[in-house]
Amino acid sequence: MNGSKANWDEYAKWSQEDLQRNIAFMRAFSKELRDAGVFVATEGLDWPNEAKTVRAGKDGEPVTDGVFPESKEFLAGYWIIEVESPEQAYKIAARASAAPGPGGKPVNMPIEVRRVLSSASDLGL
Amino acid sequence: MKYILMMTGTKAGVDTYRAWSKKDMETHFAFLKNLNKELSEAGELVANEGLAAPDMAKVVHAGKDGTPATDGVFPEAKEFVLGYWIVDVESPERAYEIAARLSAGPGPGGVPTGLPIEVRQIMGSKHDELP
Repeated sequence: MNGSKANWDEYAKWSQEDLQRNIAFMRAFSKELRDAGVFVATEGLDWPNEAKTVRAGKDGEPVTDGVFPESKEFLAGYWIIEVESPEQAYKIAARASAAPGPGGKPVNMPIEVRRVLSSASDLGL
Repeated sequence: MKYILMMTGTKAGVDTYRAWSKKDMETHFAFLKNLNKELSEAGELVANEGLAAPDMAKVVHAGKDGTPATDGVFPEAKEFVLGYWIVDVESPERAYEIAARLSAGPGPGGVPTGLPIEVRQIMGSKHDELP
């Protein structure tokens, strides 16, 4: 689930009721995935204004950078699911995308769907 | 404090990666394995996954009836997550240290890749005020 910094600023303005509806949806959604036996893991990430990019400096010491272009997409949270087909993953992603926003209207957040590597052979090694 | 360390790269970067020699690949994966073992023994490793190459990535939106609308065309400059580590550490500085270790992982000829690692805190360890 991705969003830009601007999306987060919008989110920060949601009413308490809208936030609660969204979080109730996320809880019920995770429970449904668990009950269906496809759930592996989920996490939500902190606001991107505290994000840092780290590179190794000359002696391997951390060099941090915290200035990002406004349009940069940040990960808001993720789900790992174990499914039979990509189509099933897309269906579940569409459900997450349709999570309720202000006034209960679907947010239609973009959900990036990627396969998890299970071994080096997946990389063609 | 739980942090996620995301190794990021562009599609072009991943194509470069595919041109690495077998030996360079093996050296890199051996490095990652050792680092995971070290973090695991220190009780700091929570989770780790590698993701498949970005050319198989799709972005999904809910269509009108909630049906999935997929898109697989991305700008060349788009950054993709290549893999991530979730670590449980005492301070952000420790998370940055581990990120720097990852960034210094060996690339072709053993030269550090210098890959950027995005470091973010996991929700729940701080924003407890969320309903």
